[in-house]
Amino acid sequence: MIETKNLKKHFHIGRNQTLHAVDGISLSIAENEILGLVGESGSGKSTFGKTLIGLHERTAGEVFFKGSPLPQKYTAKDHLRYSADIQMIFQDPYASLNPRMTVLDIIGEGLALKGIPRADIQDEVGFWLRRVGLHPDHMSRFPHEFSGGQRQRIGIARAMIIKPKFVVCDEPISALDVSVQAQVVNLLEDLKDSLGLTLLFIAHDLSMVRYISDRMAVMYLGTLVESGPSDAVFFEPKHPYTRLLIQSNPEADPVLERTRPSAELTGEITSPINMGPGCRFADRCPEVMPQCQSVTPESRLIASDHQVACHLYDER
Amino acid sequence: MIPHPALQADDFTPELSTDSLEQLSRPSLSYWQDAWIRLKKNTRAIISLYLIIGLALFTILGPFLWTKDPSAQDLDQISQAPALPKTALLVSDYLPWTPPVDQGHPAEPTGYPDTLDAVTGFAIVGTPNTQSIRLTWSPVQDAGGYSIYRSESEPSGLQGLGLPLETIDAGNILGFEDRLNLKSQTYFYSIIPTDGLDEFDVVTTLKVTPVQSITMSQALERGLIDPSDAPGRSVSLAFHPFGTDYLGRDMLARLMQGARVSLFIGVVAPFIYVLFGVFYGGFAGYLGGKIDQFLMRFADFVVALPFLLFMILFKIGFGIGPGESGILPMLVALILLLWPSTARLVRGQVLKIREQGYIEAARLLGGRPSYLIARHIIPNTMGVILVTLTFAVPSAIFTEAFLSFIGMGVAPPTPSWGSMCNEGVKTMLSHPHELFFPALFISITVLAFNLLGDGLTEALDSKMRSRE
Amino acid sequence: MGTHKLLEVSNLSVEFETYGGVVKAVRGVDFSVDAGEVLAIVGESGCGKSVTVQSIMGIIPMPPGKITGGSAKLKGEEILGLQAQAANQFRGKEIGMIFQDPMTSLNPTMTIGAQIAETLKVHRGLSTQQASEIASELLIRTRIPEAQKRLNQYPFEFSGGMLQRAMIAQSLACSPSLLIADEPTTALDVTIQAQILDLLKELQSRDGMAIILITHDLAVVARTAQNVCVMYAGQIVEQGSVDDIFYKSAHPYTLGLKLAMPSNVSQQNKKLEPIPGSPPDLFSPPSGCGYAARCPHAMRICHKENPPLFSDPREPLHAARCWLQAPGAPKTQGLYQPNLIASHGA
Repeated sequence: MIETKNLKKHFHIGRNQTLHAVDGISLSIAENEILGLVGESGSGKSTFGKTLIGLHERTAGEVFFKGSPLPQKYTAKDHLRYSADIQMIFQDPYASLNPRMTVLDIIGEGLALKGIPRADIQDEVGFWLRRVGLHPDHMSRFPHEFSGGQRQRIGIARAMIIKPKFVVCDEPISALDVSVQAQVVNLLEDLKDSLGLTLLFIAHDLSMVRYISDRMAVMYLGTLVESGPSDAVFFEPKHPYTRLLIQSNPEADPVLERTRPSAELTGEITSPINMGPGCRFADRCPEVMPQCQSVTPESRLIASDHQVACHLYDER
Repeated sequence: MIPHPALQADDFTPELSTDSLEQLSRPSLSYWQDAWIRLKKNTRAIISLYLIIGLALFTILGPFLWTKDPSAQDLDQISQAPALPKTALLVSDYLPWTPPVDQGHPAEPTGYPDTLDAVTGFAIVGTPNTQSIRLTWSPVQDAGGYSIYRSESEPSGLQGLGLPLETIDAGNILGFEDRLNLKSQTYFYSIIPTDGLDEFDVVTTLKVTPVQSITMSQALERGLIDPSDAPGRSVSLAFHPFGTDYLGRDMLARLMQGARVSLFIGVVAPFIYVLFGVFYGGFAGYLGGKIDQFLMRFADFVVALPFLLFMILFKIGFGIGPGESGILPMLVALILLLWPSTARLVRGQVLKIREQGYIEAARLLGGRPSYLIARHIIPNTMGVILVTLTFAVPSAIFTEAFLSFIGMGVAPPTPSWGSMCNEGVKTMLSHPHELFFPALFISITVLAFNLLGDGLTEALDSKMRSRE
Repeated sequence: MGTHKLLEVSNLSVEFETYGGVVKAVRGVDFSVDAGEVLAIVGESGCGKSVTVQSIMGIIPMPPGKITGGSAKLKGEEILGLQAQAANQFRGKEIGMIFQDPMTSLNPTMTIGAQIAETLKVHRGLSTQQASEIASELLIRTRIPEAQKRLNQYPFEFSGGMLQRAMIAQSLACSPSLLIADEPTTALDVTIQAQILDLLKELQSRDGMAIILITHDLAVVARTAQNVCVMYAGQIVEQGSVDDIFYKSAHPYTLGLKLAMPSNVSQQNKKLEPIPGSPPDLFSPPSGCGYAARCPHAMRICHKENPPLFSDPREPLHAARCWLQAPGAPKTQGLYQPNLIASHGA
């Protein structure tokens, strides 16, 4: 349904400094699939999500939606045209709702922009409030009267009311408490099943991503290092960075944690500024080889649908 | 284990909570309602608000209730301190008075006497009033003339006799009329007999307190009496609750008119330049990039321009000569030179808001830039704009007062509080009320707006209380 | 381990006066920490875990905050509610503290070396020279590479993880016997988090330092803690060893948290069970159990009275504040109920 070819997004910061936030990502998401995208800070996963749907202007590469190409730079008209196809759920429930607007206005904004009459909007909003587990009477209230989890659900209603087909969820649960995260995740799954949605689930919580996603992709400093079925990537990680991530991911199981080897990692995560050729992970990789510094590894298929970008898997 | 009350079997029956779990605990308040409640709790701000409302009523309704003409000069009550209404004696219009002459007395002395007796019978003729004081006395043997002095304080002996009013060089003229700048205060008249040339060392002093008088024609002119009224009765003079200035103009009326001028400039100018600043800053902040840089550099340039210099240039440019009222150039100067700070403030807000998730969400839903600015950005900057306005007003009032004070603003007779202060400074030591009242009004206005602005800042900027 | 516990907190209660009313943030909290022990206090936002340790350290501004009861004894001496002068005796020296966001806890205008040295000069009276040497040692101890060079750098030149290490280094300056870590890894990436947690564990095992770790992440607790206190709505609802909490959960909230988290242990994907609703409003805490409104096993008594902490006499260290632990309570699926077992012999 969604396909990107060599998508790039670079930011120019200062003199002669380029932030290669997204540097050549090619992936595809099938219809009715949930693709989980994980990575740490500096990986570019959020930027990728926003560039994918046109909130950032692409620097290079192509994006296809159901086979047809999407514009490189979106005008408001473009967004309006695609709003019923592609939507987004935002990260910060406290900043993603206009504090001066009522819940009715917030959720109904998409419909209002399409010219739907006010009375109809009100009905739809009432329906969707119930659908996400809130009371329709709440539509006359303001965002600050709701908790984080409730606000996130309002954001979900806002995205879903226009009945999109593809939704990018940009860290939708990071700002929420544990018990509330499950509420939102269940809601998303539920909506995905009943509406036949395709989701791109961006998060840094590996366990949650594995839980909800069908397939998982791992980003590091703007590049895609591994992608494949969630369980395969999680339980049999091939890329050294993925292995490190999984190893570092704590489990809520004390016995397991005691018997695990501790993660051995040195160095810090840097920022993808002025990147040259070579593997981005080379200076921290425990299995680094000479060619890793100079030659950028290509993404190879090592099993059906499981791809890795690492010289360890080069054909010999 | 901590002891606890014994539990009954039925305490254990399952009972799930019936409350709706998605309850909202606090009543629904919009941003403005919440801010208003917070503002009401701030006593200083509410007092300031009432003061400002009072000032507005004073300015707008005042002249309809207190109808005195601010330019009318009440010459009888020049530089009058605030007081209760004064009365004046109604007198007929002035007719010259011939002082009595004693025919039985020689005009010239026959010899050159060594001593002369002091004057006796030094008395007032009629009712002494501010139109004229008539004095008479008994003739002195061998006197060839008399000298009359007037002092405002009691003379001691031959010292401090005061102002020499008249030298009469005939011994038989026995009266004198004083019309020199009479005010309703105590005077001490002294008379010394002379031999026609020299004064002798004997003096007689008389204390006179004339009453305020007003002539028939003056009173008629001022509408204080009917033509049928006759002299001799007391007439109430115009009441000046705040006194009069050095030209006899009613202070209260001038304060009201001054308020109109000062507040007009103080409110209209900020409104216009804040509005302009909002658009300018909003535009720059939203568009960002090179346009933003350029617009802001231009704003910096405007800040660097010297204000006073431009005031003068505008005055000349508008062709306003010295002594003419420069309200328009002042307004123009204020507007053209003071907008950058608002623009910068609004731009900062816009930059901050632009990054918020709801802007991106609205963009994604197809909102055009003008829609985003109007529907999302501007409403969220309203708080900042309102506060800026509230602080811009006293700033403009004070600037206008300052300019008028140094003579660059309005010119007489148009009053503004600043120009009234300017005039008041000249009589600060003798008639402090002329300075005190306009200065008081300026201070109260500026203070009230500042306190209100403070209160608004606090009320509007508090982060909305969130549940977590 | 001596007869004195290192830190003993009894019946701590803290309130805040806000313009919306009085918030009872902490309502009667008891716990203790032995020398060399890692205690985790886990709970969601608003449960009072941060306020608890902050009031022990005395860093809560006292209006609007108010300690309305309880005591905190460090090595037998009362440290609760001390004035600044007295508090400085133990703050930084006996008890060190690190916070969630190192960026805001470190002075951006001072070099890291200067800040660490400052602690040393103030508390141990060292000269600048001696202080710098020790500062450099501390940086090495916290595994900061190029420690010498780093001494002269400013906080903005450090990455998040390294800053956290620097903050740990600073808190170690006076070799405190207890380190309080308030959500130290919440803002960090998962690989960096693992490094920091390993560092904390190393400090504990090598230097015998006790640690109180505040977090909302149960997985972090599983990885790092020996003993756990679970807090909800200002109270401790369950406490015990980490194995007790995870394998013998005795409180429905603990159970609920576990069920709401995805587990990777078995490869099957059990559906997450969220806890409906949100934590209660602490302006007027409920008179009954704070969790009753959300508890799927709530009983009549739960809405009326707040349960005390129950424990099995054979395992006195594992306690839960729940009426389901009272003798006579019904058997509940998934919940560890020793009193039930004891009384019913099941």
